[in-house]
Amino acid sequence: MSKTFFPVNDLLRRKLSTSLTLISLITCVASTLFLLQFAEQVGFGITSAAKNTLTIGYSAIFSSFLFFVGILVFAVGAVIVSFIAFLNMAQRTKDFGLIKAAGCPNGLVFSYFFIELLIVLFLGCVLGVALGFLTDYAVINSAAFQSYPKELNFWYAPLIFVAFFAFGLIFGLKPLINASRLSPIAALSPIKYFGLSGGTKFKALSKSRLTLNIAARSLFRHQFATVRIVFFLSLVFILLTVSITGSIIANNTTATRVEEAAGKDLLLVANKNMGNQYIALLSKFSETKEKTEFNYLNPNFAIPDAAIQQLNNINGITNFETRLVCEGYMQELMNFTIDPETQATIPIGDNREIDSLIVGVESEKVLSSWFIEGRFLRGDYSSEAVIGDSIAAVMFEKPLSQSFVMQNATFNVVGLCLDPINNGFVTFVPLRKLESLKTDSRPNVVLAQICSSANRSSVIKQMQNRLASVNSDLMVFELIVTLEKNVGFLSAIWSVVMFLPLFSLVAASLCLVGYLVLAIDEEHQEFAVLRAIGVKPKTVMTILAIQSLSILFSSFAIGISLGVIITLMILIPEPVVTSFTILEIFAWLLATLTGMFLSSMYPAVRFARKPILEIIS
Amino acid sequence: MPAKPIGSVVTIKALNKTYHLGGMEVHVLKDISLNVAKGEFIALCGSSGSGKTTMLNLISGIDKSTSGQILVLGEDLTVQDEDFLAEFRCDNIGFVFQSYNLVSTLTVAENVAFPMEWTKKSELEIKARVAELLETVDLQHRANHFPAQLSGGEQQRVAFARALANDPEVILADEPTGNLDKKNGQKITQVLRLLKANGKTIIVATHDPELIQLADRILCLKDGRLAGQDE
Repeated sequence: MSKTFFPVNDLLRRKLSTSLTLISLITCVASTLFLLQFAEQVGFGITSAAKNTLTIGYSAIFSSFLFFVGILVFAVGAVIVSFIAFLNMAQRTKDFGLIKAAGCPNGLVFSYFFIELLIVLFLGCVLGVALGFLTDYAVINSAAFQSYPKELNFWYAPLIFVAFFAFGLIFGLKPLINASRLSPIAALSPIKYFGLSGGTKFKALSKSRLTLNIAARSLFRHQFATVRIVFFLSLVFILLTVSITGSIIANNTTATRVEEAAGKDLLLVANKNMGNQYIALLSKFSETKEKTEFNYLNPNFAIPDAAIQQLNNINGITNFETRLVCEGYMQELMNFTIDPETQATIPIGDNREIDSLIVGVESEKVLSSWFIEGRFLRGDYSSEAVIGDSIAAVMFEKPLSQSFVMQNATFNVVGLCLDPINNGFVTFVPLRKLESLKTDSRPNVVLAQICSSANRSSVIKQMQNRLASVNSDLMVFELIVTLEKNVGFLSAIWSVVMFLPLFSLVAASLCLVGYLVLAIDEEHQEFAVLRAIGVKPKTVMTILAIQSLSILFSSFAIGISLGVIITLMILIPEPVVTSFTILEIFAWLLATLTGMFLSSMYPAVRFARKPILEIIS
Repeated sequence: MPAKPIGSVVTIKALNKTYHLGGMEVHVLKDISLNVAKGEFIALCGSSGSGKTTMLNLISGIDKSTSGQILVLGEDLTVQDEDFLAEFRCDNIGFVFQSYNLVSTLTVAENVAFPMEWTKKSELEIKARVAELLETVDLQHRANHFPAQLSGGEQQRVAFARALANDPEVILADEPTGNLDKKNGQKITQVLRLLKANGKTIIVATHDPELIQLADRILCLKDGRLAGQDE
C-alpha cells in the first residue's frame, strides 16, 4: 500500500516544491491556451471589424502578425513546460540516489519518479486547460471586448494538453534517465549534481568584488539550469519584442503610410458634393460604407481654370495638384512568362474584371507619397498604372508583370501602392491619358499644400473667399479629420495586438518567480552559511538581485536582438522608425524588464528576511 | 566591529527561549544565567534536546531569545538588529556547526576564505591566512577540492578553519566531534587545544570525554536549566 502510494505521498510531503511546480505548469498551460484562444477571437474580431474596412494589404499585416505571435506563444509555452519538468526532475537526482542507497531497486525508484512526473504533468495540463478557458471566458465577456466573437475553439484543449504533456514528459524523463544511470554516491554528490569541476586555483576576492562573484559563480555552477532559464526567457523576450516593437513600429508604419498616401495636412478643393464623396472614399478605410451611385464626371464638378488661377495667387500655398477622380471598369489581361528552368510557357492571370476607382494624377506634381512596390507613373500620357493593394490581391496574380484594359486602352501595371482611399480598390493612371479616355472630362479635385509657416486658418479663409468668387459650389475640405479617424482605427487594432503579450508577460514573470524560488531552494545552504558567518540580509538580496538581473539582461539582449530582427525583417517590410518610436519601444521594454525584475525579487526579499535557523533547518 | 573592553566575554542573564510548535509551547531554555571569562573553555553537556544547540545559537545571535539578556564582548545581542548581528558575528564569533555546513559549491580554500572576503582584508592577506589556516588543520593538499570529496573529519576541520578565519575572540562549536571517529575526533581536539592555548574563549557543546577533559568548566543542561557546574 505504502509502495503504491509513494509518489502521491512524496508529492504531498514536498508541499512547497509540488505546489510551485503545479502553479507554474498551470499558469503556463492556461496562459498559452488563453493567448491562442484570445488571439483567435481577436483575430476574427479584427477581420470582422475590418470586413468592409482596411485595405487587403493592411489586413494581411495583422494576420501575419497574429499568426507569428500565436506560434511564439505556443513555443514559449512548450519551452516553459519542458523547463519546469526538467527542473522538477533534476532536483530529484539526490532523492533518487538516497532511495537507491536505501536498497530500493533502480526500476522501482524510476517508476516512483516517473509516476510523480505523470501526476504533476497531468494535473498541470488539465487544470491549466480549464483555467485557460475560464480566463478567456471572463476576459472576452468583459466590457472591453463586447464587439469580439465569443465562440470558444475547444480543439485547443486536446492540442495544448497533448503537446504540452508530451514536451513535459520528454524533458522531464531526460534528467530521470540520467539519474537512474548514476550510482547512489554519484547521485547524492553535489559535484555531480551541480556539474562542479575541481582543480581551479583558489583566488582570494576583495569585499567589493565578492557579491558580484558569488552571484556569478553561482550562475556558472548551476549552468545547466541557467542556460535553460536564459533560453526560455530569451524566447519570452522575443515574443514580447515582436509584440511590443512590432505593434508600435507597425502602428507607426501603417499610420505614416496612410497619412502620406492620403496627403497629411493637405487641403482638398472640390465641388461640395465631389468633396464629400472624396472624404467618404477616404473614410471607407475605417468605416463601413454602402456603395452609392455617384457621377464623378458631372460637368459641374470640373475645377474651372479661373479657380486654379485664384489658388495660384494665394500666398501660403506652396504646391497644388489637380486630379481627376472617376470610376472605371477594368479587365485583367492574361499574360505569359517563361520558366527559366524548363523554358516552358506559363500563363499568368486570367480575364477577371472589376470596377475600380480611377484617379488621374500629374505624375510630376503629386503631393502624396505612397509606399510603392515597383515604381510610380512616368509621363502624363503613358499607358502605365499604379494599382491599390486590394485590387492587386483580388484581380491579379503577378500584378507587376500584368496589364489590364480600361476604356479600350491597355495599361501596364508598374507599381502597387498602399492607399486608404476606397479601401485600396483604386488605380492611379496619368491624368492626361485619363482625360483623353474620358471625353469632356476635366480634373474634379485639387489638393493644396500650405506652407508650414503660414497661418493655416487665414490661408483657408482666403481660399474660400477667392473660390467663392469663381464658383460658390467650390469648397475647401480639411483631410486631416478623416485621416485622424483612419489612423485612430489602426491604432485601436494595434493596441489590441499589443495587449496580447501582457498575459504572456504575467505567465513568464510567474515562471521566473518560480525558478528563483527553486534556485533559492538549491542555494539555501550557501545563503544560510553566508548569513551565519556574518553577511547582512541585504547582501544576500543583492546577490540574488545580481543573479536575477544577469539572467534577465542576457535573455533580454538575446530576445531583443532576435525579436527586432524578426520584426523588421519578416513582419514589417521597410518600417518607419523615428527617434520617438525607438524611445517608445525602449520605455515599454524597460517597463517590462523592470516589472519582471521586481516580481522576481519577491522570493528574494522573503528569503532574506527569513531567520537563519529556519533556512538551515 | 571592534569589541568593547569588558571583564567577561559572555554574560547571560535570565535567558529564556520558548518555541511554538503546532500550538504547543516548548520551553527549551529556562532562566539561564552565566558568565564566561576571556580565554575560558566551557564544555556544555546535556542529553539530546536539552537546549545546547539553542544556547549556542542564541550566543552567536543567529537565534532570538524569548526573554533575558545576552552580552557578548559587551554588546547586548538581544536588542540588536540583523545587520548589526551579522557584522558582529563576522568580526567576533567563529561558529562550528555539528553538520559542518560547508558550502558544497565552493572549494575548501574558498570556504575558508569566505568570512574574510566580507571584511576589509586585502586579497594577499586573505590568501596568506587561508594557507595558514589550512596548514593548521592539515588540509593544504585539499585546498582545491570540494567538500563532497572530503571525509567527515576533513570537512569538520575545514569548518574549524572557516570559523577561525577572522581570528574571532569567541569560538562556538556544536558537537564538533559528534559525527567523527576517534582518530578524526582527536584531530579536532588538537585544534581546540591549540585555540585554547592561543587564549580564545571557547564554548563547546559536546558529549566527547576528551573535549570535556580539555574544558576549564563543564556546564550541564537538563530540561532547559543549568543543572550543575564543575570547575
